[in-house]
Amino acid sequence: MSGKGSGSLADQATGKSSANLSILGVALGILTAIGGFVDIGDLVTNAVVGSRFGLSLVWVTVLGVVGICIFAQISGRVAAVSGRATFEIIRERLGPRASLLNLLASFFINLMTLTAEVGGVALALQLASSVHYLAWVPVAGFAVWLVVWRVKFKILENVTGLLGLTLIVFAVCLFLLNPDWNHLFNQATRPAVPEGEAPATYWYYAVALFGAAMTPYEVFFFSSGAVEEKWTVKDLSQSRLNVLVGFPLGGFLSVAIAACAAVVLLPAGIGVTSLSQVVLPVAEAGGKLALAFVIVGVLAATFGAALETTLSSGYTLSQFFGWSWGKFRRPVRAARFHLVMILCLLVGMGVLATGVDPIKVTEYSVVFSAVALPLTYIPILIVANDPDYMGRHVNGRLLNFTALVFMVIILLAALAAIPLMLLSGAGA
Amino acid sequence: MILSDLLTAKVFDDAGVRLGRVIDGRFALDGRPEAEASLAQARLVGLLVSPHSRGSYLGYERRDLNAPWPIAKLERWRHRGSFLVLWEDLHSIDDDGVHLRAGFTRHDIRLG
Amino acid sequence: MTSAGKMFDAVMHLLDRQVLDVDKMPVTVVDDVELSDIPSGRIPPGTPAPVITNLLAGSVLGTRMFGGRPPSSRLNRIRWRHVAELGTALRLNIRGDQLDVLWTERWVRNRIIGRIPGGRHDPE
Repeated sequence: MSGKGSGSLADQATGKSSANLSILGVALGILTAIGGFVDIGDLVTNAVVGSRFGLSLVWVTVLGVVGICIFAQISGRVAAVSGRATFEIIRERLGPRASLLNLLASFFINLMTLTAEVGGVALALQLASSVHYLAWVPVAGFAVWLVVWRVKFKILENVTGLLGLTLIVFAVCLFLLNPDWNHLFNQATRPAVPEGEAPATYWYYAVALFGAAMTPYEVFFFSSGAVEEKWTVKDLSQSRLNVLVGFPLGGFLSVAIAACAAVVLLPAGIGVTSLSQVVLPVAEAGGKLALAFVIVGVLAATFGAALETTLSSGYTLSQFFGWSWGKFRRPVRAARFHLVMILCLLVGMGVLATGVDPIKVTEYSVVFSAVALPLTYIPILIVANDPDYMGRHVNGRLLNFTALVFMVIILLAALAAIPLMLLSGAGA
Repeated sequence: MILSDLLTAKVFDDAGVRLGRVIDGRFALDGRPEAEASLAQARLVGLLVSPHSRGSYLGYERRDLNAPWPIAKLERWRHRGSFLVLWEDLHSIDDDGVHLRAGFTRHDIRLG
Repeated sequence: MTSAGKMFDAVMHLLDRQVLDVDKMPVTVVDDVELSDIPSGRIPPGTPAPVITNLLAGSVLGTRMFGGRPPSSRLNRIRWRHVAELGTALRLNIRGDQLDVLWTERWVRNRIIGRIPGGRHDPE
């Protein structure tokens, strides 16, 4: 039984796959992927890890980047070929009971990430204005809603992605700090648990860093975005390029954040508990101008991720129940989708209004992301191999082998996360 | 009758020996369409019975699908000994489950 | 898949799939299907096999997950003759606006989303 939907789409793709590439389009796609890679989870986790473990956990970032490249590439291809986004597939392949549990877990963690990102926007505005972040929370939440309500998908994706590129200032400042490169290189290539840190804590942050790089919402957003932008098989080479070039460069930004913390905060014994400490190395190396850049970057990165998580909350729930969804429709043509997003933003703002520390929410959200990862990864991997959905675009052997290696890593990280959290006192 | 009344129902042979549970229903699109733009009517051909497992949404055991192999292996193992029993071989359906006629045939579960 | 005589398995190929209307607007997910009645108890030899009469949606999802069943009058039905195509999604040959299944969508649209400024316009 060859699914009619997949068959007809796959047939359109014969031959001319590279005709659709323009240099500008490619550049824009890659730049957006770089800027869009970093969110509050990456900012905080990398700075915390850099300030405590130096670069001894860089290998995890590398692993996470390879993982998200594979995962995003597969889910984008599944969405483009079959026209089905991630949660539709989870519902179809796991049945109602298992997929409901999956939905509850994914939705809850996404809501947590959404809260952390809106908090991140408010914290960035506090840095820029010296007005307390709690006063900024309603502003941030309303701005996110307004963009989700009124702005075209492509524009919101590109603008936040491009502005997020200003985070490159972390890499520039690393050079300005003139660090002992040999020392950094040794830390990165010969990872070891630093003195004074327990192994459980080291591994707890390894899982957190992995979860920060491979957050599930990125995949909900990526696959639903493929449907939003009406990708077909013709667009796959462009998307592969965006992912395979953009995400590693985004990962490079993550490493730069960790390295700045390793050079400035670690020797000074400063632990990261707030956003101002994350950007402290930049201010020290580059002064006011660099600080201005980094604040714009943090604002764009967290705002972009707040949009993505808000959309993801609507995507997951709508796809599970089969409701109309998508920004390519007018809000009245996807009413329940928009209602879910409004309610989730209100919940996130409500949680922040209790005064809970957004940095703490972020730290927990990345760990729970690692716990939830297999729930989305495995169904997507199964469908990517199913010719009923994929026609001749099923996974190749090499990709399947790599994806299976990652399945084992993802399962280990998910199983180890909670025990490590308890053993290490959540990294205390 | 709704389909989930049948799903996970226990299946017994004519001597009352339990053979497994219903995991799916096989249908054929061979009836006359009710309207011009409609799909053909879907007739129940038979029930899929699995001795060891209650449910299946993946269908590795019914198709030539071997990747990713650990999942394919696991699914084949969970559904070892599964078979298709035709509608003609059903004797009765009651609250206990599905009872088969004497001399029923175990058909290959694979989709043709 | 649409061609006559094709075989399919209901759980694997039909249940939990997305239903799109004739304009490709999402309607629901197939939560269950209803079959034509069969004799209760013993099935006399030669009894014609049941056929799928309706797709079901809504409250039946809860009972499918947790057991029990809703009364027949409460079922949200989409008639099988309104199904045009069976693939990775189901296509109907009618518009979703005509279906009871979408009353919550219409309610949210008319009472909430349609009343917020900009809700009836394309994004810019």
